[in-house]
Amino acid sequence: MRVLIQLRPSPDVVAAVADPRRTAAAADVADGLPGVVLDPSFTPVAVPRPVPPAGGDPLSLRRPVRFSLAAEDASVLVRGEISDDEAAVRLALLPTLRPDVTGVFADPVIESTLTCGGDPPVGDWHDVARLLAVEELAGEGLDGAGVALAVLDTGINAAHVARHLGREFTLDAARSWNPAGVTGKPGEFEVDHGTMCAFDTLIAAPKATLIDIPVLLSRRPGGSAVDGLLSDAVAAFAHLRTVLDAQPEESRALVVSNSWGSFSPRWDFPVGSPGNYSDNPAHPFNLIVAGLEAAGADVLFAAGNCGRDCRDGRCAFPDRPIVGANSHPRVLSVGGVDTRGERVGYSSQGPGRLEDRKPDLCAYTHFSGSKAFGADRPDSGTSAACPVAAGLVAAVRTRWPASRLSPAQLRTLLRRTADDRSTVGFDHDYGYGVVDPRGILAALRRRSEA
Amino acid sequence: MVTVRLAAEATLARAMEELGLPEEEVDTGYGLVAIDPARGLYVLRVTEAGARRVDPEAGGGPHADPPIEPYGPPR
Repeated sequence: MRVLIQLRPSPDVVAAVADPRRTAAAADVADGLPGVVLDPSFTPVAVPRPVPPAGGDPLSLRRPVRFSLAAEDASVLVRGEISDDEAAVRLALLPTLRPDVTGVFADPVIESTLTCGGDPPVGDWHDVARLLAVEELAGEGLDGAGVALAVLDTGINAAHVARHLGREFTLDAARSWNPAGVTGKPGEFEVDHGTMCAFDTLIAAPKATLIDIPVLLSRRPGGSAVDGLLSDAVAAFAHLRTVLDAQPEESRALVVSNSWGSFSPRWDFPVGSPGNYSDNPAHPFNLIVAGLEAAGADVLFAAGNCGRDCRDGRCAFPDRPIVGANSHPRVLSVGGVDTRGERVGYSSQGPGRLEDRKPDLCAYTHFSGSKAFGADRPDSGTSAACPVAAGLVAAVRTRWPASRLSPAQLRTLLRRTADDRSTVGFDHDYGYGVVDPRGILAALRRRSEA
Repeated sequence: MVTVRLAAEATLARAMEELGLPEEEVDTGYGLVAIDPARGLYVLRVTEAGARRVDPEAGGGPHADPPIEPYGPPR
């Protein structure tokens, strides 16, 4: 556990800590505290001593009290960590073993309120473009030109995207595809979730070529207006395999953005059954995802909106809500952060069901962008984070086709360069961290020079 | 969904023959979808009754075909 330790060292040390012109390190104050790993990044802080009037209570909050930072009065706080297994013993022993220790206090994590569904937008898509260093990416020729980016969703309304983006973009009707029974032309679907996703891909990859796959528009008896069946996604991936195979091997670049998943085990076979999807890498969809990746495609899935802090009401998995292909080891599972870099409360936490270390990383969501759901409503959910990350991947692919940087290598690069949001590297809230385009650019430059 | 391995002549008719399934138990609009063409692995969408009747020697499954939904906006 993290603790704050209050000490009363010699007056000259206190004076050094209290003097803003001098710098004292934690080791100067509290070196050799048994069982405590001092945090050297925490500059010791002088704590004034309450001095009451004669006969007064020094801890009274109501009576006038003077606070003294004089070297003989003040104490010093340092920060450290005590092993959870030994916490009780250490807390009892410390003041005995070290008489200069006058107190050991909890140092709990303090957090701002997390963004939840229904909250207003946090920033807009121009902020996201800035955070994604889009100008720097473009300056290095990484703008998505020539890269195919498939959006598997509810279909794209190209006119809406272009209007809100303020410019035209490329949509490849010939390589787009509809599931059986779905009518409608590529780029001409109603404004909905897929339009939001398309818009968000184009933030980092403005010149990418979008492929419209309205996989969520297929209907099943009793289904809602917007959902499909996993078998439609199987067929969509089979189509994408033909798209990928048609590309010259030396310049393959296909990014697949999937902002959907299964909310409930209700329609699945039980875990352990050979026909199960959620936990079974041998399910046909999980196999075809692996096959497409092995052939050179970058596959990204939203981690889901079942985060513990404010989960979507549809979430029905009792635990480990990143299921099936969304947790596949050969895909990037994308969680969500707002433009302040804070995890949105609904972003699903790991571990994943096919792979423990999920989500892989986080990208930006909950910003004002496509306005697909209304002028005041944000592009939200890990649904928005996934295409934002997919756009970044497409930007990289402009100059780094799969023959030069395999999908597995690119995933490693993205994880390794991510801005770590914890003290220990990977964690199940942020994965390896928030995508860091400048870190990616630096790594690509190093790779070019190697 | 049920899977089938077809060494050659990968057509829906060939798959239905292999699995012993009549047309009314197969979603012909969905057709025969290649999972791993190099290994001759394909998938079909069939009725529940049809899936139950598939000879395990001939095909794999049934595999779950759950509904999929967009992950946003959070409700």
